[in-house]
Amino acid sequence: MSDGPLSAAARRARAVRVCVWCVAAVVVEVGLYASYRGHDARFHWFTHFFVGASAALLVMTAVAWRRRRPVPLPLVWPLAGHLAAMAPDLAFVAGHAHRRWMDVFLGHISTHFVPGRNWTWYAVFLACLGGYLVVLARLRPGPQAHADA
Amino acid sequence: MDERRRRQDVGAVRAAWPTRRSLALAWAVAAFGFAALLALADAASGPLDDPDPARARPGVLDLDGLPAPAPQVAAGVPRPGRRAVVFFARPTGVAPLCQALARRPLPSDVDVAVVANGAGGSCGPGATLVVDPSAAHARSFGLDVPRDGGAPVGYAVVDAAGRIRYRTLDPGVAARLGEVATMVAAV
Repeated sequence: MSDGPLSAAARRARAVRVCVWCVAAVVVEVGLYASYRGHDARFHWFTHFFVGASAALLVMTAVAWRRRRPVPLPLVWPLAGHLAAMAPDLAFVAGHAHRRWMDVFLGHISTHFVPGRNWTWYAVFLACLGGYLVVLARLRPGPQAHADA
Repeated sequence: MDERRRRQDVGAVRAAWPTRRSLALAWAVAAFGFAALLALADAASGPLDDPDPARARPGVLDLDGLPAPAPQVAAGVPRPGRRAVVFFARPTGVAPLCQALARRPLPSDVDVAVVANGAGGSCGPGATLVVDPSAAHARSFGLDVPRDGGAPVGYAVVDAAGRIRYRTLDPGVAARLGEVATMVAAV
């Protein structure tokens, strides 16, 4: 008896699970953007998103390369990076001013002041995203692997 | 049978793996999508905003040459031993700011001055109103010039030693006095 139908069902279930997490991550990001917009602080959302997501993408690239497969729940990692980078803003909303040591949160203070501002971090983010996608492309099993199997 | 299953597994992995085209498409969507969002956010800046958004409401003390001695804007503001907040407003912004200060006063041990670059009404007893048509006080406090090139709208926080510890443009400060209180509490 072939396990083909079962594998296909398992793949569909996995795809649905990944999609649910991706939708959840996007919804959270939209909520965070709306929150920053409400505080008239969109600039800060972009900085911390690009920095946090770039850091996450570097980790994702290393993990994918080591495991020879894409990381699970790919949109959740950038969200986690973003939350780490913006953590001091949660403290600020609670009434605690920023301090220099808060740079431990992925450069929360100093990343705002790089030349080029958010456009620089946009470029860094695209480079990190490109790096991860190139690794995925290289790890893709080729036709030769299929034939060798 | 094992050979057939292995072929199926590799084929399934290859089929499920994103193609180079889909990976390139994902990158392009991210590139164009975030560029559009960034451009939209830049375009949403108002005439009273800081031309450099990184310097607007950074939320951290002692940036960019601070602390620095605070000039006096009125008799007793600032004065030794007491913290002070000096607001800078356009004439049309004085009334909303003073009403907000009346509704949500800063701590009683903080002196408050509102410097306007033109006559614009009056403030309650909790704040000293100063008219400064040339915006010289704003310049002496080192506030940035807003995008429209006019008088700055924002505030500076002075510590009990008479030093400026924080300064920023903030056209919406009347609605964000809690943020001012946070920065005052830090000095």
